[in-house]
Amino acid sequence: MIISIVYLAISLIMEVIMSNFFPSTLTNVSLFTTIYTIVGLAILYPHFNNDRKFYLLTILCGFLFGILYTSTFIFSLVLFGCVGIMIKILYNIFPENIFMTNLISFICIMTYHILCFILLSIFSSISYYFISLINILIGSIIMTIVYTTISYYIINYIFNRFGIKYIK
Amino acid sequence: MLGKKKKIPKKYIVIGIIILIIIILIILSFSLKKDKKMNPIFSFIRDGVLSVEKFVSYPFIFVKNKVNDYNDLMDVKKDNDILKTSIDRIDSVETENVELRRQLEALKSELNIDYTLSDYEYLNGTVISRNVGYWFNTITIDKGSYSGVEKDMVVINAKGLIGKVIRTTTFTSDVRLITTSDTNNKISVSVSNGGDNLYGLINSFDYGNNYLEVEGISNTKNVSIGNKVYTSGLGGIFPSGILIGEVSDITTDSYDLAKLIKVRPSVDFNDINYVSVLKRKGVNNDN
Repeated sequence: MIISIVYLAISLIMEVIMSNFFPSTLTNVSLFTTIYTIVGLAILYPHFNNDRKFYLLTILCGFLFGILYTSTFIFSLVLFGCVGIMIKILYNIFPENIFMTNLISFICIMTYHILCFILLSIFSSISYYFISLINILIGSIIMTIVYTTISYYIINYIFNRFGIKYIK
Repeated sequence: MLGKKKKIPKKYIVIGIIILIIIILIILSFSLKKDKKMNPIFSFIRDGVLSVEKFVSYPFIFVKNKVNDYNDLMDVKKDNDILKTSIDRIDSVETENVELRRQLEALKSELNIDYTLSDYEYLNGTVISRNVGYWFNTITIDKGSYSGVEKDMVVINAKGLIGKVIRTTTFTSDVRLITTSDTNNKISVSVSNGGDNLYGLINSFDYGNNYLEVEGISNTKNVSIGNKVYTSGLGGIFPSGILIGEVSDITTDSYDLAKLIKVRPSVDFNDINYVSVLKRKGVNNDN
């Protein structure tokens, strides 16, 4: 459990560090952005044998992500909850390997952005355009693949090195 | 028979799901309410974690700044030549400035104008987090209510208007960028065409082409491509005279009554590192 918490904490901090190197706004979407915390959750799910703990961690991440970066913690909490459910469904459909983990990570990022787009378009006074959503999804592809691949190998190496079968 | 669970009718399950969705939607709409103040506990958590993040990301930002400094150093000869010519003019500009300030004060008292840019002091801050998660179009700066930052204060940098403060914690503030198409908060602008100032409103932002759309300027007035666009000071939040950008395209509305002006922002919103928060003089001077 400690490894997963440390990894998710690093992923949360990565959001800020990488946003300094690849700054991005709705008006000018960078090709090297992703949501590292969501990728982190997608990587860690197969190592949990207890879904309740995974959801707890997902909710905690959503809560922290909301407080730190969006100042809308309930909104983030709901979105991360949905992403958590999506991760579980996708791992039930697809086998666990590097390619499928990449695909699952990207689908989860897509889910987050699409839900954000729909809910914010309904509830906030800000006008959002479909083109922004498309740009963001395209901009998320490269970094999602890079971070997922690196994380996949590192996490698997750590789990094998310490002989950990599942997160307790 | 005793151990058998009672089956809930399907219609109750459907009603339950609908009620649950309605409750979630109500909670979401409440949580996205713009003016909602951050809970002190959450504010404390946010300040704490962002301080840790600032500490952790410092080496990375240091390296990035050094690389930028090196790039700037490459252009130093060219900049030096330009500055030398500017220095020759500095005495006359200084004298002109004193005279203009005297005239401004006289005109302000005559016209009963409350605030102009000179009535603000600049509180400098550094960007610590940028638009993570995209959709909220905000940046976070390292100055909060402790430094006297308040909601709705205006944020600028050397190139022009950036946005306004929408939320503060003790040591941080969230700034919403002017590129946000917020239908409830349109910014009043004036287009300077040499002689006249023409007034309009920023209607929206074109995400595809990266320009602000200004509406409400009469079709009978002359506007040229390249004219500067400033805040007009009308509306109460943004003081007058802050550069927004310059006119890049002019069309008319469907009734041929008003101009639709496309304005290229002067600020590169992907390259904001340092900002200044405008504080009205005398409001809070603890920094």
